[in-house]
Amino acid sequence: MQRLTAITKETKLHKGQRLLQEGQEAEDLYVLKEGSVELFMKAEDDFEIPIAILRRQGDHFGTSALIAPHVYTLSARCVEDGTSFLIKHADLQKLILEDHELGCTIMRNLAQHLLARLKEARQELKIHFKTLLKAMHS
Amino acid sequence: MEQENEIRLEQIGVVTLFEIKGDVTAASEPFLKEGYKNATDRGTEKILLKFEEKAYINSGGIALLIQLLAETKKNNQQIGITGLSDHFKKIFTMVGITKFARIYDTRDEALEGMSEES
Repeated sequence: MQRLTAITKETKLHKGQRLLQEGQEAEDLYVLKEGSVELFMKAEDDFEIPIAILRRQGDHFGTSALIAPHVYTLSARCVEDGTSFLIKHADLQKLILEDHELGCTIMRNLAQHLLARLKEARQELKIHFKTLLKAMHS
Repeated sequence: MEQENEIRLEQIGVVTLFEIKGDVTAASEPFLKEGYKNATDRGTEKILLKFEEKAYINSGGIALLIQLLAETKKNNQQIGITGLSDHFKKIFTMVGITKFARIYDTRDEALEGMSEES
């Protein structure tokens, strides 16, 4: 844990600040301490699809930094001033290679997180499909 | 990010107020469906959806609201929306929700406006 703390940097988040950009190289993983952050995707020119809001301490984003090809799949913007912990992908990768037990714990937690996201995405897909069917038959 | 909603129905004159607590996502489906069924069983013709001040509505939540609008249209019910932040007012306008539901700045303005409309 101490080794993880050593590579973690606390950073201030300011309302309106763009933290991640969809499609960009994923270098940093963020863990929210306080404040709130919105995750979104770009659809049309200036339309942003709202994905989620993170408000709880420990909520994390930028997990693409942990998985190849290390490209962010969402954008993130600070909605309310706050603080987050930031971990550089390269530092974490180095630590995981040195400490396999820690690496295993991180990857297990990551797998659980991604499975939960997949479940949510499937539920959402079902809703969108139902909406589409209703529109087709109305 | 799973969350639960609470939807409280209140009859104010001819308008049934849906007081929606919590963020609206795909997980809100059973809560919205049950609320709508209860309101429709009461024979309501006017529904006002009121969101919490900091409510977040993601793409799944927006799709659910579009489904609800389709149902209200089918059942000849009038629908109004209040409690949205400027951010969501813009999104609702862009996805076309405002063609089917009027957005009001305040609950009182909505209740007054909807009570007057025939």
